[in-house]
Amino acid sequence: MRVAERGRRTSSAVLVYVLVLVSLQVFLVTVAAEAFLADEEHIAWATAGVSVVLAAAAALFLRALRP
Amino acid sequence: MSDERRSVNVPIWRRDFPYETAGEEEVTRREFARYLVLGAGAMAVGTVGLAAWTQLRSINTGSPERIVALDEVAVGDTYLFRYPTDADPAVLLRVGPSAVVAFSQKCTHLGCVVYWQAEEDRWHCPCHEGNFTKLSGAVLSGPPTRPLGRIEVEVRDDGAVWALGRPE
Repeated sequence: MRVAERGRRTSSAVLVYVLVLVSLQVFLVTVAAEAFLADEEHIAWATAGVSVVLAAAAALFLRALRP
Repeated sequence: MSDERRSVNVPIWRRDFPYETAGEEEVTRREFARYLVLGAGAMAVGTVGLAAWTQLRSINTGSPERIVALDEVAVGDTYLFRYPTDADPAVLLRVGPSAVVAFSQKCTHLGCVVYWQAEEDRWHCPCHEGNFTKLSGAVLSGPPTRPLGRIEVEVRDDGAVWALGRPE
């Protein structure tokens, strides 16, 4: 496989990973909103923690993309 | 960036032929991924903010406050008030000549307003059919998993009902 072709495939894969992570973030926002309405502090903080980790992972994936 | 510096960065051929193609306006894959990551960061900040807001709300336990004169509420009747802040609806039920109970009106499922169902002898949330017991606010049926937030009250010598502070 040529280098250019491999690089294109890699960046496509990274984009898919980032899309999946952002989809999970949308889900986590709804969980946080429900926790807020129900006064569930522990769920709200757990959701916030996972959300921050996912955002960091998405940022790391972005670094893997070709400039 | 100044015009001089910008002109230095522009290739000579573009200065000689300053035309752009439609393809140059397209968003690259990397740019699109960067927007997604920015969105993910914004959502993370939002969830942290919601968690902090949830924490700040629940530590507000309130201070002793006069609610209403006992004589103004008949046995079996309810009285609506707000405690510990104006944003916290609460309800008091007179269960006997000198006995009262009070709860936050916010359902512990998703925050809808609960009300007293005298014919069923229970607290009822109409949003998702949650039901709570009369005296303790424990869950009888429906989706809620936690009891209603109970507000400690007492009848004092002046004949008034006082809230003593919402327990944790």
